[in-house]
Amino acid sequence: MSAATVPAGLRARRRVRTSNRPRALTLVAAVVALAFIAPAVWILVGSFRPGNEIFESLSPLSWHVLFPNSVTLDNYTGLFGNGFGGALLNSVIVCGASVIGGLAMSALAAYPLAVLRFPGRSLIFAVIVVSFLVPFEAIAIPLSQLFSDWHLTDTYIGLILPGLGNGLAIFNLRQAFRGIPSSLREAAVIDGASEWRILTRIYLPLSGSALINCSLLIFLGQWTAYLWPLLVTSRSDMQVAPIALAKTFSEHSFDFGQNFAGAVLLSVVPAALIFLLQRFFTRSIANTGVK
Amino acid sequence: MSVLATPRRDERAGKAPGPRRRRSWRVGHHDTMWAALFLLPAIVAIVMLRVLPALGAVRDSLYRGFPGGLRPERFTGLDNYTNLFADPGFRATLVRTIVFNAIINPLQIVLALLLAVLLTQTLHLRGVWRTLIFIPCTIPIVGSSIAWGAALRPDGPVNALLAAVGLSPQPFLTSPNQALACIILIASWIGIGYWMLFLIAGLQAVPHELYEAARLDRAGPIRTFLSVTLPMLRRPLLFVLVADTVANFVLFVPVQLLTNGGPESSTTILMFDAYRTTFGFSSRNLGAAEVVVLSVVMLVIVAVQFRLLRDEGGDS
Repeated sequence: MSAATVPAGLRARRRVRTSNRPRALTLVAAVVALAFIAPAVWILVGSFRPGNEIFESLSPLSWHVLFPNSVTLDNYTGLFGNGFGGALLNSVIVCGASVIGGLAMSALAAYPLAVLRFPGRSLIFAVIVVSFLVPFEAIAIPLSQLFSDWHLTDTYIGLILPGLGNGLAIFNLRQAFRGIPSSLREAAVIDGASEWRILTRIYLPLSGSALINCSLLIFLGQWTAYLWPLLVTSRSDMQVAPIALAKTFSEHSFDFGQNFAGAVLLSVVPAALIFLLQRFFTRSIANTGVK
Repeated sequence: MSVLATPRRDERAGKAPGPRRRRSWRVGHHDTMWAALFLLPAIVAIVMLRVLPALGAVRDSLYRGFPGGLRPERFTGLDNYTNLFADPGFRATLVRTIVFNAIINPLQIVLALLLAVLLTQTLHLRGVWRTLIFIPCTIPIVGSSIAWGAALRPDGPVNALLAAVGLSPQPFLTSPNQALACIILIASWIGIGYWMLFLIAGLQAVPHELYEAARLDRAGPIRTFLSVTLPMLRRPLLFVLVADTVANFVLFVPVQLLTNGGPESSTTILMFDAYRTTFGFSSRNLGAAEVVVLSVVMLVIVAVQFRLLRDEGGDS
């Protein structure tokens, strides 16, 4: 087809060749992308079809695997009948509180590390970033024993606290603060503003996108957390959504419709946030990876 | 008050005599006070949430407790560690964890790099393909584990697909020979798209002139990749390598949810084993020793990776 649009002559052959290459590569990219997305589509479709149809549609394999014969919301209503709504609410509470607390802590820590001069600054910066980047899971087990000694088991505080510290959040905020011209701060100092005032009135309002990025990091960390809530909660009314979903999976392992519906509900929130805030998300990736 | 702003330069210049030094000390004092105040929550959090549990794990690993807590625990030195390493089951777990990581990390990074290179070429609908490959990492790992648990069932869609192309069905998660490979597949389905994004960012930061120069030198695509792209990607690659290794060393959810370490311990990797020892077998002290071993192995491997990539950087 594209050959028709290319003018005739000596150069035409070369252009045809270069315009075929993207087409071949596009085909490869499309095949790989469809392989990646197929399981997710299967889950999404499965969550809207009657439970027994999920596996019956497989033999013989036909297009019905991805296109249901009948659509139903039974899986979702059944899931909420099993108390999944309460678990979702717990997740929202834990994530919201973690974002607020985590932002406050990260901004307070990033400000002196970016603009103030004090002995041991680079050492403290290194310690903070490294200690929050060491994978939390490695110390989750001993920490859960400490939390049980401190009577934080089955409490919101117990679920929230470990989600506050995020090395990447502090790192990104510090980068953003360093990009703010120091003349602004100097002028405020001359006017007699305290550091607290400078932080809240100048630095925070100028760092909107970095703050959104940090909120996203903290939120995603808590929303997807599984090991920690597993260790620190035992009461069913304190369950967060991933734990409740895992429970449905091990208790009603034959009702895949409900499991799929839970997986979809759990995924919709982070997926929507990431695509809405895509710009801020990729920014953090560019920061860390390339810098 | 304007003095507060200026002397900072003096401080940097070094020895300022007499009154100037006093002033800069006051500035330093002012800054230090605010810094201490602002950093306090983060430092308290680090001590409470990182330092104390790490010390607690080391301490617990040196003691031996008794069930029920009626008798006080007793200091036993390195006994827990010698017991662990004397146990063939634990040694197998350790080897399995290292082999698992030696396979999954290079596999994920090579595939992520290939995809990143592919998706930075001129393509139709490039953004769409990138998004589709990234979507699996937006699904919380509990959700994706359940999805794959269903997909890999003997009567699941993967076997239906195999049957459709004339292959015999496989046992997947129920076979000791295939279960760990399935865990690798699941973790990679989630991880590859994520690491790909970092590498795409790295590829886009490579100056275009370098490719122009390579073209003028008549370098082929492979030569260009090896001599231009790879060296320029060293930083993002190092980051991805370290972050991916760390993440896979503490991989937990698919093992706990889908195989529970089995069949025949074939998917018992260190993180899950530490969890099971501590809570399943209620052996707090042995579990603590496993946590310490896991952390040490992980830190050693990350340090080696830093060394390797940094030394290469020194050569060029």
